[in-house]
Amino acid sequence: MDSRYDFVIVGGGHNGMTLAAYLSKSGYSVCVLESRLEIGGAQENAEPRPGFRIDPHASVLYAGAAPGMEQLELWKYGYRMSYWSQYGMGLTSDNRAFMSGNRWTYKEAAETLRPFSERDADIWAGMMGFIFPHLKDILRSTFWTPPYPVDLDVEQKDLPWVKTWNEASGGALPASFFEGSLVDVADELFEFGGLKAMMGIGAWYSGAAPTWDGMAPQAMGSFLLNSYASGAPKGGMHTYAHAIARCAIAHGARVLVNCPVEEIVIQDGRARGVVLADGSAAAGKTIWADKAVVSAVDVQQTFENLVGPKHVGPGFMQNVKDISLKGGSLYVLHVVCRELPKFIGQAQEVVDQHGYPGSVLYPCDDWDSITKQMREVYSRKKTPTGPENIAPLPVLMPTTYDHTRAPDGYHVLSPIYIELPPPEYHVDGPEADNALKEQIKREMLDMLEGLAPNMTGDNIVEVYANTPRDSEFRNAGLVGGNWYATRHCEDQWWTQRPLPELSRYRTPVEDLYLCHQTSFPGGLCLMAVAYNLMHILIDDGKVEPADWWYPSPWHITDEGNRVPASQGGK
Amino acid sequence: MTAEYRPPELPVPEWPDSISYDAVIIGAGPNGLIAGAYLAKAGMKVCVVERRYEIGGGLATEEILFPGHYSNPHAIYHMMVDYMPPMRDLGLDKHGLNFVSPNAQTAAVFDDGTSLLLCRMIEDTKDSIAKFSEKDSATFGRVMRKWRRLVQELVAPATYLPPVAPLDLIESMERTEIGRELLEITERSPVEIITETFESPKVQALLLYASCMWGLDPTDTGLGFMVPLLVDRTMNKAQCFGGSHRMAAALAREIVQNGGSVLDTAEVVDIRIEGGHVTGILMEDGKSIDAGIVMSSLDPQTTFLKLVGEEHLDTALSQSVKGWEWEKWSFCTTHAVLDGRPEYDTDDPWVNEAFMTVVGLSTPEDLLSFWDGVKAGRIGDRVIGHATCETIYDPTLSKVPGHEVGFLQIHAPYDIDGGWDTRTADVQELILNQWKKAAPNLDFLQAHTETPVDIERRIPNMKRGSIKHGDYNALQMGSFRPNEDCSSSRTPIEGLYVCGASTYPGGLIIGGPGYIAANVVAEDAGVDKWWKLPDYVARYRDTYMDLIDID
Repeated sequence: MDSRYDFVIVGGGHNGMTLAAYLSKSGYSVCVLESRLEIGGAQENAEPRPGFRIDPHASVLYAGAAPGMEQLELWKYGYRMSYWSQYGMGLTSDNRAFMSGNRWTYKEAAETLRPFSERDADIWAGMMGFIFPHLKDILRSTFWTPPYPVDLDVEQKDLPWVKTWNEASGGALPASFFEGSLVDVADELFEFGGLKAMMGIGAWYSGAAPTWDGMAPQAMGSFLLNSYASGAPKGGMHTYAHAIARCAIAHGARVLVNCPVEEIVIQDGRARGVVLADGSAAAGKTIWADKAVVSAVDVQQTFENLVGPKHVGPGFMQNVKDISLKGGSLYVLHVVCRELPKFIGQAQEVVDQHGYPGSVLYPCDDWDSITKQMREVYSRKKTPTGPENIAPLPVLMPTTYDHTRAPDGYHVLSPIYIELPPPEYHVDGPEADNALKEQIKREMLDMLEGLAPNMTGDNIVEVYANTPRDSEFRNAGLVGGNWYATRHCEDQWWTQRPLPELSRYRTPVEDLYLCHQTSFPGGLCLMAVAYNLMHILIDDGKVEPADWWYPSPWHITDEGNRVPASQGGK
Repeated sequence: MTAEYRPPELPVPEWPDSISYDAVIIGAGPNGLIAGAYLAKAGMKVCVVERRYEIGGGLATEEILFPGHYSNPHAIYHMMVDYMPPMRDLGLDKHGLNFVSPNAQTAAVFDDGTSLLLCRMIEDTKDSIAKFSEKDSATFGRVMRKWRRLVQELVAPATYLPPVAPLDLIESMERTEIGRELLEITERSPVEIITETFESPKVQALLLYASCMWGLDPTDTGLGFMVPLLVDRTMNKAQCFGGSHRMAAALAREIVQNGGSVLDTAEVVDIRIEGGHVTGILMEDGKSIDAGIVMSSLDPQTTFLKLVGEEHLDTALSQSVKGWEWEKWSFCTTHAVLDGRPEYDTDDPWVNEAFMTVVGLSTPEDLLSFWDGVKAGRIGDRVIGHATCETIYDPTLSKVPGHEVGFLQIHAPYDIDGGWDTRTADVQELILNQWKKAAPNLDFLQAHTETPVDIERRIPNMKRGSIKHGDYNALQMGSFRPNEDCSSSRTPIEGLYVCGASTYPGGLIIGGPGYIAANVVAEDAGVDKWWKLPDYVARYRDTYMDLIDID
């Protein structure tokens, strides 16, 4: 086996593999080392029961607007979509429902809001009509652009992504949008609490809770990322990982799984390579990196285990340790059933008229629907139990849009989730969630049956569950069992993610870069961390851009310049 | 099924509705991938299409014991790793492919507390046999020396060359002494071979189990040459580190690295034929691939009746495909999370390290009566089966501290008395009880049973749970697999080739069908064969196949 490459990437999850594809397609030799049995990280599927495929983790395509779809030409490697006919359905606790629609169906969806609020129905349709034509620019300026230099002296209104949002909305966005929380913005725009709650639940389970200040663009953005293509990779998320991996491999990347890395070799302050751990499939190896080592592992494991405290100062290590793991430790249920849920009352009429949505969000009543559970999970740091706390409850229904996910005559609801405290933060200790695993399962199923009385008895064939604690063991990088690794809050966002001195993907160790969802813009399998990092590698002279490469037009270099000529700027 | 929605314009670029390749390979199991890897490296533009979301077919590693424990629901005992040409030709170790072949290979734990252990090293095996019979121990040493020669010089090399018609085979085998020995043993049944060679019932029982566990009928004659092969191979199994799926992944990396494509979640519904020549395939989502060469690794009924269509077959082929026999029995496997490795209640603790441990075994008669029951659709109140704790040699299959992963597998009928819907729970209980009786320390933290019906559901062309795509009997082996028209991997339809476990030489991850088909297609397509036959295969060809037209 070769032991010298231009780039060595530690971690073959979504971000590491995307970077491998970018670098190998740019002509560089690349080696990816993954500790798990399979690449893809969050882009995984499982078939615990023959013929039934569940989503243990990521389930939806947020990356429709990603430059990577075009630059990496994933279609050549088999990428296909399963589209939702409707984006999602909000369900109220009095058994009424409304749809949110996608770019082709939002007008029809707005009519389902009309019984709740005439005004909101018009605003929703108007807003969507405004946004969709500009959506690619909005999303790319927000997510597919490296955070600006942390010491850049600039007023917020002059930031490129702020300008893009303002231009796209014709100045209609409330001032609170750029400073406030989703609660602030939605309260200004809408009157119907259910619509606000639906946006809030969607945003929370996409990584940004509605009450987090300064995160309105990310919360709205995650909702819009989802609406851009509104669907999932055909066959399940792992086929998306296959397309990325095959792009990398087709361009010569060496992708080795079952190869946990023991340490990153640092000589004279520079990262030179990695040493594999005992028991790795390619044991006894030091693998050298001529240009750079990239850690596609979370920031805490990177510095605490792979780099080691001796190479960075104690102040820096403390900041790394303090990074918050809250905000995405999900308890996930997967239900194999014979019939789809038949909802009570008017809700089922909406389904019958518009078709089954890809997802159902419950309860869509008001902000309390969300904040109650947030208080349990974030403030009291206890496992939420009891019917009043075991919500919100997003339910994904993959068999409504992808018939390959279960045999004819069967369905899977996967995932259905609630949030729990990260095991490390739980006031009753890290095993507390697992001790309540069966009880939570029962309570979630009871709640489901309460919404759709047919979800009981013989209709339910099998139920699987994984807790945040389970995820820590099965998903090597998921410290805290947090799907987004670390909190998507303003303290850890933009130039602060994961720490100000790391926000441009560089590290205190020369030739060591970060490429994980603990860097901006976090999770959701956007192919964005790798795309953004490519700008920095180009700026640092590590990578010569290929003819297919195009940078973000909103990228600001360290000198504060706009895009340099080498990247196609003016 | 809900109709799937397609938006008016596609926001994300997708694999095209129609595309052209030199060759399409249906089924990304071991053989489809091996064929694809050889041909891609030969410069052909190949696309391997797979119905499942994950490639590998029987090379599967799945999170059956969700969450966090991985199992090998199909292939786990890799029996031909040391012979298979693709291992060396393709250099799969560069993709991190690793096999572990422990010395402690196949054990039996008997009810009276004794045990027998077949090892990779013959003297270790003889030591264990001598506990029961000094004579058998000596016989084993003498017989295995001969049987290993049969395997090395004849059976193994023939696995990687096209089949030869029975009369030609007999004529060529008669040229050498070892060839004549092969012919002689071929005409005896497994029961005859084993019971006439060894005297101890326990030795007989375990060797009979090893000979027939993969579907050889214990009393049928005509396939006796497989007994030396399977006894030798049960002492030379290897486990794929990281799970059997790693082998599929390594092969797929070869294909993709050499410009080929692998398309998953892509069920083929039609092999297109115009003027007697294949023109490509159609997939269930309406997308198509044009290709002048189509290779099917599926079972013959799916390939010819469902995908090709009877209208393109002559009567003889159509009759022979319809008469294809599925396997006489399948498997029922209970996978379990264990809170520790099994510690068998037996006379030799070394048994605890065995790769495979047979439990419930006593005498050959008892074993035959269990198998007769299975063939008649019955599983009674006790079972005989083999157990493996997969995490002993591959700890990567579970990262949950203190959790081990293992399974106990028994032979089982597809049509069980009472049906699997009602019987799965009690069969699982039987299996777990039998296992715990042999290894009392076992505690099952989680268990999941896969029945023959489940095998078919996971991989539909393992019809009726037929893990080799069809029975091993004299009329379906050699140049009759799947039939005389197609066993060389060419078919009467121009451009259509067969290359799966239902094609000569058969299943069990031996790689023969895929390798032979790659050779044949490369010759027909006139592409550069960048590889050459391994020396041991070339020697066999030169000695026994010089009169036959084989490249």
